[in-house]
Amino acid sequence: MFVWLSANLINIALVAVITLIVGLLLRGMIRDKKTGRSSCGGNCAGCASCVRCERETLHKSPRAF
Amino acid sequence: MDKKIRIALAGNPNSGKTTLFNKLTGSNQFVGNWPGVTVEKKEGRLIVDKDVILTDLPGIYSLSPYTLEEVVARNYLIEEKPDAILNIVDATNLERNLYLTTQLTELGIPVVIALNMMDLVRRAGDSINVRELSKQLGCKIVEISALKGDGVEDAARTAIDAAKNGKTIPQHRFSGPVEHALAHIEEVTVHDLPEERQRWYAIKLFERDEKVMESLHLSDEVKAHIERDIQAAEKELDDDAESIITNERYVCIGELLKGIYKKKGKGQLSVSDKIDRIVTNRVLALPIFVLVMWLVYALSMGAPIGGGGISIGTALTDWTNDVLGGAWLQEGSRALLESWNVAPWLVGLISDGILAGVGAVLGFVPQMLVLFLLLCILEDCGYMARIAFIMDRIFRKFGLSGKSFIPMLVGTGCGVPGVMATRTIENERDRRMTIMTTTFIPCGAKMPIIGLIAGALFGGSTWVATSAYFIGIAAIVLSGIMLKKTKMFAGDPAPFVMELPPYHLPAWSNVLRGAWERGWSFIKRAGTVIVVSSIVIWFLTGFGFVNGKFGMVKDLYKDESLVNDAYTAQVAERMGIPEDEVEPMDDSLLARIAQPVSIIFKPLGFGDWKPTAATVTGLVAKEEVVANFGIMYAYDDKDGEEELEENGNQIWDRVAEDFNAFSGGHGKLAAYAFMIFNLLCAPCFAAIGAIKREMNSRKWTWFAIGYQCCFAWVMAFIVWQLGRTFAGGMSAVGLTLALVMLALILWQLFKPYQEAQKLTVK
Repeated sequence: MFVWLSANLINIALVAVITLIVGLLLRGMIRDKKTGRSSCGGNCAGCASCVRCERETLHKSPRAF
Repeated sequence: MDKKIRIALAGNPNSGKTTLFNKLTGSNQFVGNWPGVTVEKKEGRLIVDKDVILTDLPGIYSLSPYTLEEVVARNYLIEEKPDAILNIVDATNLERNLYLTTQLTELGIPVVIALNMMDLVRRAGDSINVRELSKQLGCKIVEISALKGDGVEDAARTAIDAAKNGKTIPQHRFSGPVEHALAHIEEVTVHDLPEERQRWYAIKLFERDEKVMESLHLSDEVKAHIERDIQAAEKELDDDAESIITNERYVCIGELLKGIYKKKGKGQLSVSDKIDRIVTNRVLALPIFVLVMWLVYALSMGAPIGGGGISIGTALTDWTNDVLGGAWLQEGSRALLESWNVAPWLVGLISDGILAGVGAVLGFVPQMLVLFLLLCILEDCGYMARIAFIMDRIFRKFGLSGKSFIPMLVGTGCGVPGVMATRTIENERDRRMTIMTTTFIPCGAKMPIIGLIAGALFGGSTWVATSAYFIGIAAIVLSGIMLKKTKMFAGDPAPFVMELPPYHLPAWSNVLRGAWERGWSFIKRAGTVIVVSSIVIWFLTGFGFVNGKFGMVKDLYKDESLVNDAYTAQVAERMGIPEDEVEPMDDSLLARIAQPVSIIFKPLGFGDWKPTAATVTGLVAKEEVVANFGIMYAYDDKDGEEELEENGNQIWDRVAEDFNAFSGGHGKLAAYAFMIFNLLCAPCFAAIGAIKREMNSRKWTWFAIGYQCCFAWVMAFIVWQLGRTFAGGMSAVGLTLALVMLALILWQLFKPYQEAQKLTVK
């Protein structure tokens, strides 16, 4: 077991790093989705209608005075 | 602790509000040189005083509740009662801008006027007596140039002072009958409201503003009483109440400006007017637009400098693909990992999966940055606003509104804000139609597809990229015309008021920020969605079942007990290719999934599993199309080479070879049909999500997706079938079907448009 581990240490480390990166990316994407910011991946500052992305604002969207 | 001060930034569309907001808050909100950029209000803290919150309201011409922007602005000013209003006024259009100012001064909130573009007024030799204007309006005025940053800090400090201890009392008065009616209304309805707001409410009641009436909960008796006062004024002035107030305001402004605003060259054409005589000319406008866009694409995505072209973007992209992506990143990483004795499958995952996929997408960043930079220059100098005006002229002939063109301008960066920008279209039918067609315009994510086809198969020809842009516009126009003639979308075009801003030299900070924002959005997606999906695609491409055994197909194919002649023949039959062309990837999971689907694309000339897989995965993100090719061909060792040469372009050469192979030697045509389909078919999931939100209906969302896919298929089919007829590879059935489809489209396009015979008023 130890021999196998030492022989594959670099592989294990790389797989761990890739898994961590992918995990963080997925977490970020899911979090963005939940907060309603997943629409385009762009910076909201660069968007003409950024506030509209926010669900809260979307529901409060004023049509009635 | 001091109370936070809230200042609202209000003004006409395109008067420079967002530019001033960015200058005052250090923010980097999107600045577009056309109206409707700010759909919602945005907030930021002043740089000079962090306790002051500045709210950028959408551009409005009045406080009437007719458009979404007006409702957003009005609700904020009335319900949230900011401590002061910083009213930005375009000094070059003083009369029209002061119409809103007269309304703002009636709200009972201290108003400070930021007189913008005073540098242009002075340059034209005109003069404004600012002191007298301030006296007549009853509020302080600060001269500014938002673009250059002159006077903006002074304007902010004046607004803070006004918020702390200022008061604005409207100085303008209407004619006798109107003032008489207003006095009566104030007396019977709004006397219990704060004194400074009574006049605004009275005017709104006089205008029969339903929303104000509802909010005041007036009894029927009171309503009847004020109705008598309004009718008396209407009878005396022989007009309806709303028109009376509009007219009275303009009369007041006209009187007020006498002696205050002196125009040097009355009746003379300004430089902008002279340019517009050519640029918006009925005959020349469109050819000039085509020429400008050709130049934009020639500089960004055409043949590179040193390769017979003028493109800076392609030269940089070639370097990124060849040196940075190919030699350094992909091969460098492979060499490094192999020197560490990393397992071959892991080397494959990192080099042929993640780096090949992400690298293929990032390679196009230089081209995109140059393209976005040029588009931002055109937007900022005022040219793109003219295009909306020109398109309105064309759209209107077919019953469409130029309003549908604004989302298209926004959509060149990303389809999502483009779809959301349709909110400014009040007519529900026009709005739905615009939502369905906005994503036809090539967004940033589609640029690599265009770059790939232009570079790999057309030697970087500028016409490919330029034609892609105009195919997008043509698809919007054709769809608009055809859909408008159906019962679902019929109706008169919505009015489109568009003010053409004067031409000016682009503000480099705006241009660079705009280009970077769009480019950064692309890079960010490559670093998130594309990384994750590249791993999935690498797995699906690299693994599969070979003769019943699961594993890495490349390794399994080395096992002669698994891959014998009989098995090769079986694979060749399944894939519809000669036996000597069978390769390990034909047994990959992706090939097995994509092969049955590829039948849909056979009539379009690219019915092979590889372009099919690329097209379908493009639904995740359009960048994925190119990333997919990058992975599939980085993996591919059909040349008998174990590894790619130190040149990323080898991948694109293989793409070209394959297109030629499965299209019977018509590779360019098949690739062009592939590009057309991918440009026009359903957008990525993010944009589909935006469509669903904006349509607010599952049925309409599916209809939109269905329409986009069918339209894309038909267009690609016609191009492929007609093209190969001319290229000497005619298919009688295909050609007949293409001609029938073309005839149906032409019939729908040219059948007379039925205008409404009666006016419907809601």
